[in-house]
Amino acid sequence: MSTTTIAQTQTTGQRQLPDGGRERFALLRYVRDTLLLTARSLRSIPRVPERLLDVTIQPIIFILLFLYVFGSAIHVHGISYKDYLFPGIIGQSLAFGIIGAGVATSNDMTEGVIDRFRSLPISRLSIITSQVMGQFCEALLGMVIVIVFGLLLGWNPQLTLAHGIELIALMMLGIFAFTWTGVFFGMLVRSPDAMQGVGFIVVFPLSFMAGTFVPIAGMAAVPRAIAEWDPISALVATVRGLTQGVHSSGSWQLDHPELAMVIWCAILIGICVPLALRRFNRTLAS
Amino acid sequence: MPANTASQTLARPLPDTPTPEPATASYAVEAKALTKRFGDFVAVDALDLNVERGTVVALLGPNGAGKTTTVRMLATLLRPDGGSASVAGHDVVTEAEKVRREISLTGQFAALDKNLTARENLVLMAMLRGRDRKAARKVSDELIERFDIEEFRERLVKKLSGGQRRRVDLAASLIDQPQVLVLDEPTTGLDPRSRQVVWATIRDLIAGGVTLLLTTQYLEEADALADRVVLIDHGREIAAGTPAQLKAQVGEQRIDVVAVDSAALADLQSRLGERFEVRVNREQRTISVPAPGGSADLALVAGAVQDSGIAVDEVALRRPTLDDAFLALTGHHVEQDQGNTDDDDSEQE
Repeated sequence: MSTTTIAQTQTTGQRQLPDGGRERFALLRYVRDTLLLTARSLRSIPRVPERLLDVTIQPIIFILLFLYVFGSAIHVHGISYKDYLFPGIIGQSLAFGIIGAGVATSNDMTEGVIDRFRSLPISRLSIITSQVMGQFCEALLGMVIVIVFGLLLGWNPQLTLAHGIELIALMMLGIFAFTWTGVFFGMLVRSPDAMQGVGFIVVFPLSFMAGTFVPIAGMAAVPRAIAEWDPISALVATVRGLTQGVHSSGSWQLDHPELAMVIWCAILIGICVPLALRRFNRTLAS
Repeated sequence: MPANTASQTLARPLPDTPTPEPATASYAVEAKALTKRFGDFVAVDALDLNVERGTVVALLGPNGAGKTTTVRMLATLLRPDGGSASVAGHDVVTEAEKVRREISLTGQFAALDKNLTARENLVLMAMLRGRDRKAARKVSDELIERFDIEEFRERLVKKLSGGQRRRVDLAASLIDQPQVLVLDEPTTGLDPRSRQVVWATIRDLIAGGVTLLLTTQYLEEADALADRVVLIDHGREIAAGTPAQLKAQVGEQRIDVVAVDSAALADLQSRLGERFEVRVNREQRTISVPAPGGSADLALVAGAVQDSGIAVDEVALRRPTLDDAFLALTGHHVEQDQGNTDDDDSEQE
């Protein structure tokens, strides 16, 4: 990231920069550019509503399927299936945010517009933060839709205020980490379709076996071993623990889901943020 | 169009001929031994390139010749692996931010947000260049008028035609009146009519005195727009000179007569050879006649063919292509895998 020197004055006579003092306020400029670029990606939501499908309609379909189609065959000890299901759906749609962010990012990257932004005299960091912020907002919106839909269908979370605050904080952290992960992978893959494919192969099964719809304890040995260390399991267990007071066990991370989730998020952020920034600053495949 | 300096004689294949240069300053773009590798592949190979202020230079070459890589390095989007380059006197590596203020690159694919309208794109770019909303709207509206965008200003970019997008793209490139404008294949994938419109727009810009570096696969385009043409392949300069110099080597337009079979070809060769200066390509059963007079010459040749009574497949007026230039200057054709000079690249979305 290059910064401009304060004393730098415009030497080219032919052109006027309307606010000549901008170089002095690098941070202010960064915030302004980030907000402008975030606004741009949010503005396209109503114009491409299908972009929100994966965080809105998709979880709703899963809710309906599992609640009213498969649900009667699934019995979880000590809890109504409705109350068991919703925390799972929340965790799963959080995880799907990776795919959404990845697809949107690779979409942007494969089009010329990011090149245009990169060739503008703006901070490159603002380009990538705006990408993350836009995706973050989308994921948040999807989350709200799922929760509201759940409450309408009679989901009954047992939240204390403290647990509520903790849950919101952890979810924000989760969305943040997963969004960065998605943005990073979106930069790595060659096309939005490839991202969709990778998402389907990796995120999809992991999100299904994470104790989302059925208890991990009942799974066969191999998927169970995977599920016990699946990061999404920590997420689902966290939401379920905080909203229903139901705890699963079987591995360290299932015994300590909140801590495990924080660790997973820290790992994802620690790996994906610097790599994404580095990747972005270097070349784009071309 | 401004005339060029004396140093631009045609440099034949060896690119390393040192050209006498006045000390810096007069060049808006100056690249020395610029090199970029992607793994083992050398995309740009010790390329020297100078663009004088107020002139138009065309980087002409087939797909994969290193044109885009070169301009992306100049626009600070790619970091060179060797050599150096400066734009308006600023180094593209160490003074990237300053370079970005002076150069504006319009890429091969419209660099616009397709989910915003034409006007929203312009306003956004203007604001990112430091204007407040009001000033950004003002400059956008000026550009909309100047580039004749009025009728589709409120349409989403994804719903615009290729030519319309290109115009919006060009307008976006000119928000801050950059010292150096770089257009990467401005008309690739456009239909002939849109191409004419884009050319007209570019000519207006040139008349306004902008320094322009453009890349193209079309000899015709380089000829139409540039003061100086640099022909490159495999990341190296093959030849450079004014369009007139290049054409003197490559030849003007010509008429191709395609015979139905080799016997007819021989007959035609002797008949046409009596009246015209002919060149024969046996593989393609084609006889070429130079046609500086264009369609008037076409009528003459067609008449002669008619008189001979020899059956032909085709009589057609041809403009020299990039392939002809390659053949004339290097003795070989553009390599097959690099695609061709014809309009065979479909427009990519």
